[in-house]
Amino acid sequence: MAAIELDGVTKRFGDVEALRGVDMEVREGEIFGFLGPNGAGKTTTIDVLLDFVRATEGSATVLGHDVHEESRAIRERTGVLPEGFDVYGRLTGRQHVEFVSEAKGADADPDAVCERVGLDPEDFDRKAGGYSKGMKQRLVLGMALVGEPDLLILDEPSTGLDPNGARRMREIVREERERGATVFFSSHILGQVESVCDRVAILQDGEVVAVDTVEGLREAAGTETVLTVNLAESVDGVVAAAEGVAGVESARLSGATVIVRCSDDVKMDVLTAIEDAGGNVENFDTDEASLDELFAAYTEDEE
Amino acid sequence: MSDSDAADGAAGEGAALATLDEALREQFTWYVVAKKEFQDTVRSKGLWVLSLVFLVLFVVPLLSVVFDFLGLGRAARTSGTGVLINSIYLNLVALLLPLIAMFVGYAALTRERESGSLKVLLSLPFSRRDVIIGKVVGRCAVVALPLLAALALTALLVVSMSIPFDPVLYGLFVLFTVGLALVMVSIAVSISGAVPSGRWSLVVNFFAYFYFSFVWNSLANGIGNLLQNQLGMGGAIRWQITLFVKLLSPTQAYKTLVNSRIAANTGANAERLARLEMFSPNADRATLCTDVLLGNATVQQTVFGGNRTVCQSAGNAVPFYFSDAAVFVYLLLWIGLAAAISYYTFDRVDL
Repeated sequence: MAAIELDGVTKRFGDVEALRGVDMEVREGEIFGFLGPNGAGKTTTIDVLLDFVRATEGSATVLGHDVHEESRAIRERTGVLPEGFDVYGRLTGRQHVEFVSEAKGADADPDAVCERVGLDPEDFDRKAGGYSKGMKQRLVLGMALVGEPDLLILDEPSTGLDPNGARRMREIVREERERGATVFFSSHILGQVESVCDRVAILQDGEVVAVDTVEGLREAAGTETVLTVNLAESVDGVVAAAEGVAGVESARLSGATVIVRCSDDVKMDVLTAIEDAGGNVENFDTDEASLDELFAAYTEDEE
Repeated sequence: MSDSDAADGAAGEGAALATLDEALREQFTWYVVAKKEFQDTVRSKGLWVLSLVFLVLFVVPLLSVVFDFLGLGRAARTSGTGVLINSIYLNLVALLLPLIAMFVGYAALTRERESGSLKVLLSLPFSRRDVIIGKVVGRCAVVALPLLAALALTALLVVSMSIPFDPVLYGLFVLFTVGLALVMVSIAVSISGAVPSGRWSLVVNFFAYFYFSFVWNSLANGIGNLLQNQLGMGGAIRWQITLFVKLLSPTQAYKTLVNSRIAANTGANAERLARLEMFSPNADRATLCTDVLLGNATVQQTVFGGNRTVCQSAGNAVPFYFSDAAVFVYLLLWIGLAAAISYYTFDRVDL
């Protein structure tokens, strides 16, 4: 059974179409990254899953339950870190965790939660109104973990976290998957997703433009290596020689430097061809397309 | 909250409270929301402000007895509780308590919606109905607590001032006053669930207060005139409908209830007279008395030569739907009605 399934979900706010027929499936037990630039519709999608907003068309299920008809059953088994949330300023961190524990009929140990998300125990017994953004983020992440939910929905979980906090968050995400939970989290920053996700979806202007593993995406995007070869001196014919190698997309000469765009596995062939054409290779450098470029390639194609 | 809850709570034993807490949690899905709401609000300065406001509202007017303004001191010392309520508290409470209650409730949901804590709340396994009911109950408790404390203190002061104290009458006055407060808090919280922002809630709440307090009576009379002039529905049915509409205003219902209980000390005709008092002198009092309230109307000559309709008991009670018990039910029905309308709206909206 799929943990999350969206089937042609469209959401219109007046004239604005926030989601346009989103189809997506998140499998049980995987960490699923939901990527897209700000304004792509990530939060609207999550709002549909939690019944905060109702889809104009299409249907969605979470843990096998309809998102609108059986929303409560979903939220009993789901931990949520929403986007744009606030805490109750007059209640302490501990009271927040106790409140969630009571609401879910769970028997959570507030101190364990506090330690797990890395909140200072002293802060934990202070009113949450004085918390920094990062502390609030840790608190609500902790609240999401109460009751060992089957599904975690985290909307931009790294917002406001320092690098240590972001690392802790990724560790928790992995631990939760080890426990058997499904983790669905959204982000507009690829770096967070790359290391932790089993699969990702890219959302652009309310449409899913890709669903794959990170490696799969890299391949599917057809991105290539840029090979920069420095020669002792400029030699005629090296460009033609490089272009002659199968797998090379383009090559050009800039002074004594040859810049070749090619697939990763033909690098050595290109170097050999250049040497055979009389080029004296002093050194070379390869540059893999970063995920950011990959992401840009996807999202700009859609323009 | 039922009476047994309050009784159990008063037992005050930790273990009993924990068991009650557990039982309520299992019984009512909204209970955890109400508890959180109460805990959260109790920690705010608002509760102290509220206590102070109630103290001023109920205790300060007693000074007029102490210093014998307007001859109240003598009247109160001879006639006791009834005079005190009638001449000091009734109009003051009917005017100010709804206003105070609305200030307590108007931001209950809009503030959570605007800050984003509603997203945290609704990501927990609560339905939107739980949230509305929990908010209404929680805020009602927040108002009821200082209100009861102020009323208890007032009772103590009255007794200590050796004004004749009627515990039954005062108890009913407390019941109706708390009832009115809860109704107005519920209406305010419900409005805040039905509108998109705090500013809207303030505006709509103000209009609700204004209509209930100052416009409703004219509205009821207007409906009566309309029935008579446009539809030709004269006589008993016209006045029945007019009276019924009047009773639907929480403040009108409150006033006529309190008036009726004060008058009950002096005669058996109290409910009838209290309802009749809701009408101006130029209403058709004969029809109201005889056909609507089943009394015995007689016309008497006044000393100035005019005619005066006097309504006496014909030995039978007013129709049950105009009795005090029914009016109290109409008053409390507002809590459910307001919450239902609010839920209907809140359940449909995108957050």
